[in-house]
Amino acid sequence: METKVPMDSALESKEMLNRFLAEIERRAFQMAKFATGHRDEALDLVQEAMLRFVRHYSARPRQEWNVLFYRILRSRITDWYRRTFVRRKILAWLGRPEEEDPEDPLQNLPDAVNPNPSDQVLRHEERGALEKAIRALPLRQQQAFLLRAWEGMDLKQTAFAMKCSEGSVKTHYSRAVHTLRGLLEDLRS
Amino acid sequence: MNAKDPEKLFLEEVQRLLDHGAENLGSRTERRLEEVRVGALSAADENRSSFSLPRRWVLAGSFAMATLAVAALFFFLSPSAKTLPTGDLEELEIITSRERFDIYQNLDFYRWLGSKENRVRPNGKGV
Repeated sequence: METKVPMDSALESKEMLNRFLAEIERRAFQMAKFATGHRDEALDLVQEAMLRFVRHYSARPRQEWNVLFYRILRSRITDWYRRTFVRRKILAWLGRPEEEDPEDPLQNLPDAVNPNPSDQVLRHEERGALEKAIRALPLRQQQAFLLRAWEGMDLKQTAFAMKCSEGSVKTHYSRAVHTLRGLLEDLRS
Repeated sequence: MNAKDPEKLFLEEVQRLLDHGAENLGSRTERRLEEVRVGALSAADENRSSFSLPRRWVLAGSFAMATLAVAALFFFLSPSAKTLPTGDLEELEIITSRERFDIYQNLDFYRWLGSKENRVRPNGKGV
C-alpha cells in the first residue's frame, strides 16, 4: 500500500497533464498557425512547446500551467520568426521564391452538422475573414489579442506570457481590437 | 453589466468564430495533435523515471570514470624507463644511423689509423 501511493499520484498527475494538453492543444495550434501561416510549422511549434513544458514546468502548480505554456509557445513563435526572417533574406538574395504551405482540402468540406447552408456560408466567410485579419496583424498585437480575448488572460498574465509590460499589452491589444472591429463591421455592412 | 456593450458583443462574436475554427481543424491535424500530445506525455514519463540527476550528467560521469580507469591502468602496467633494454636501443641507433654504420663497416681501417697515429712523435715524424 505504501508503494502504491506514489504510483497513484504519478498516474493522477499524468492524467491531469493529459487533460490540460488536450484542452489547450487546438487553441495553441491555431495561435501558432496564425503566426506562421503554415500547418506543419505550427504543429512543430506546438510539439516543441509541449515537450519543453512537460520537461521543465509540469511540476509547477496547476494554476500556473496555462500562462507558462503560452509563454513557452510565444517564445518558440518568436524564435521561428527570427529564423524565417533570416531564411527569407537568404532566399531573396538567391532569387528563389518562398515555398507556400498547401491548404488542407478537408478544411473546405461542408459542415454536415449545421442545418442552415446560408448561415454556414456567412459563418465560413466571417471566420475566414477574421482569421485572415488576425494573421495580418503585427505579431505582438496578434499575441496580445489572442491571449486576452480568446484565452481569457488578464493584463498581468498576458504581460508575463509575452515578456513585456502591462502598458505594452494594453497598447497592442487596443490596436488589434480597433483593426478587427472595423473589419467585422465592414463585412456585415 | 451592459449586455449591449459593442466591445463585449464583438469579443463574444470573435470568441465564437475562433472556437468554431479550433473545433474544425480537420482529421489529419487532429490526429497529428494527438500524436504530439502522446509524445509529450511519454517525455514526461521519461523525466519521472530518471533519478534526481539528469541522465546526461550520469553519462558524462561514467565516461570520465572510464577514461581515468584506462589512463591509470596504462601508467600502472607500462614498464619503467629503468628496465628498458638499452642494448637493443644501441643496436637500433646503429642500424638507423647511416653515418655511424659506415664507421662500423670500416672499423678495421680506423683501428689501424689509430695505432699508427699513436706511434707518431710530437715533431710529426714516425718512430
